[in-house]
Amino acid sequence: MTNTTAAIQSEGTNGRFNRGSRLVDLLSRAGLALAILAIVLYGSLSSPVFFTTGNFVNVMTSMAIVGIVVVGMTFVLVVGGLADLSVPATIACGAILSLALQPMIGPVPAFIVAVSLAGFCGLVSGILVGYVGINPIIATLGVGTIVLGIVQAAVGGVIVYGTDPATAVLVKSRIFGIPAIVLIFLVIAVIGNFVLSRSFWGRWTFATGGNYSAAEASAVPVRAVKAGAFVITGLCSGLSGGLLGLTLQSARPLVGTGYEFSAITAVVVGGVSIMGGFGSVPRAIAGLVFVQILTNVMVLQGVRTPVQGFVLGLLIAGAVALDVALRKRGVA
Amino acid sequence: MHMLSQIVRYRVGLILGLTLIIASLMVPGFFGMTTLSLGLDRSSTIGIIAIGLTVLLIAGQIDLSVGAVFALSGIVAISLQPSLGVWPAAIVGVLAGTACGVFNGILSVGFKVNALVATLATMLIFRSIAHWATNSQPVGGTDIMFSVAMARIYLDIFTVRSALFLAAILLLHLWLTRTVSGRNLFAVGSNATAAEASGISSSRTVFLGFVFASTMAGVAGVLQSLATNTGSPVFGSDLTVMVIAAVVVGGTRLEGGRGSALGTLGGVLTMASLTTAMEFQSVPAYVQQVVAGLMLILLVVLDRTVRARPRKHAAAVATA
Repeated sequence: MTNTTAAIQSEGTNGRFNRGSRLVDLLSRAGLALAILAIVLYGSLSSPVFFTTGNFVNVMTSMAIVGIVVVGMTFVLVVGGLADLSVPATIACGAILSLALQPMIGPVPAFIVAVSLAGFCGLVSGILVGYVGINPIIATLGVGTIVLGIVQAAVGGVIVYGTDPATAVLVKSRIFGIPAIVLIFLVIAVIGNFVLSRSFWGRWTFATGGNYSAAEASAVPVRAVKAGAFVITGLCSGLSGGLLGLTLQSARPLVGTGYEFSAITAVVVGGVSIMGGFGSVPRAIAGLVFVQILTNVMVLQGVRTPVQGFVLGLLIAGAVALDVALRKRGVA
Repeated sequence: MHMLSQIVRYRVGLILGLTLIIASLMVPGFFGMTTLSLGLDRSSTIGIIAIGLTVLLIAGQIDLSVGAVFALSGIVAISLQPSLGVWPAAIVGVLAGTACGVFNGILSVGFKVNALVATLATMLIFRSIAHWATNSQPVGGTDIMFSVAMARIYLDIFTVRSALFLAAILLLHLWLTRTVSGRNLFAVGSNATAAEASGISSSRTVFLGFVFASTMAGVAGVLQSLATNTGSPVFGSDLTVMVIAAVVVGGTRLEGGRGSALGTLGGVLTMASLTTAMEFQSVPAYVQQVVAGLMLILLVVLDRTVRARPRKHAAAVATA
């Protein structure tokens, strides 16, 4: 069973995620809201620090860093590109270069160069996936390995530190008590939502993910749309990495490890179909909120890091299995 | 075009030959018995995992969790040594790999989750269990002499591991080319629906493929842990790209339906001699990763672009 290719090709015959069945739709949406409510309730009952401003700001900050990646990853999933595994590499690219280039060209150009290089990495993955037709996971896995290696080689495989404290202050500053990073994330999310649900590009993205051949026949530039999703993710994770680097004022090569899973988990838990053609940015962010609060509660309860990884893995598997099951029922 | 497809067909040999020439230029005494046997010994780790992955790829599936299974089964085999003894612990370690494969199989066949996503999730799960069980610390074995025995060289060239690997490649070759179940595997990989229609249970084949791949990763992990007398939760974290690259260099298609044992042998030897040559020139590990990634991407692109056009040759090659 060639699941991946079959999944892309059989989109036409299997039918899309059923939008007619309102019940399934409502269930998946209300289910997540209920889950978020339950976890918030449990968190506030079990830990006295859960409902403090400090904890809230912490959750928001870590949510913002992952969230920027989540916006890009939503495009990849909706366009039928499975997932982008080069995220750790592009985050490292953003974080390391935006710090390492500071002494040479100044903080702002360094940041811009780092983000555009991350976008370029996304472009390479995008061309491999969209135009050459390579399996997205293999392409991004390979590109990620190469990019991470090149970035490490560029700085000699060491930890780089920031030289300009002013940018750190800027990134950590708060406007009306909300960290600047969170505001940047909200802006990115609003733009992402607008592009995906209101613009021609978003319509093309849905068309390509929903039914590739039909979209191609309707003169949608399917290859460019598919490649574009990976460019968006590259830019997003470069931005997220740059912000992460400026916040920490240090970046090691493995700084981005695990972010791909966090982002995929959030998007998938939010009910965005891994088969493509269905999903939205608010849904993905709802998934993100759930996963982040769950992680936060686990941290407050003193659950060890490996266990958190275990739970994330189970969540991905469970959410995708549920998606497949719901799809089948919707079609039948 | 005929010339080109001939090159593509025998590219494994071509790439291996080129790599060997480069390696022998860069490493003095590359063809010395000691270097060869050591190279073969280390290639057998990648090789044994590659055998499992070859089977799974032919069936049209993939397993990204092999690196994590590799670490987990090694940890099981080492940490059970005090209570069970070396041999039973090793067997339990391999069985732990098998159990991981069953889990993968249930997820992707039972729940119909895309294999890439399913094994991505289980990679996270197995790796977490490995960290969990060991407190993120490497664990040591009880019998240091056992690892010395593992490293002994027989007949000037073979270690236990490399002999096992070569024997397994031979068995795999016989299985894929001479048996009915081997042929069924190709049928399932190239067209699952057609295979189903001709009475082959494709879901059963795929399920067993997952079990086989994880079991082989378990065998490799146990052997590695025995050889180093250590089990560590970070073992095998960079193996996945290496192994997939080795299998793809060997001419196995990612989409299933094509692949061979001898090709995989060629791919594994290529990756091993490349690694040896680069390490001898003290190329940093991250540059080696770049090379592995580039090999993978280039060959997959080559497979896509060259194979797609000359349909007739492609058909001829596929049956060969």
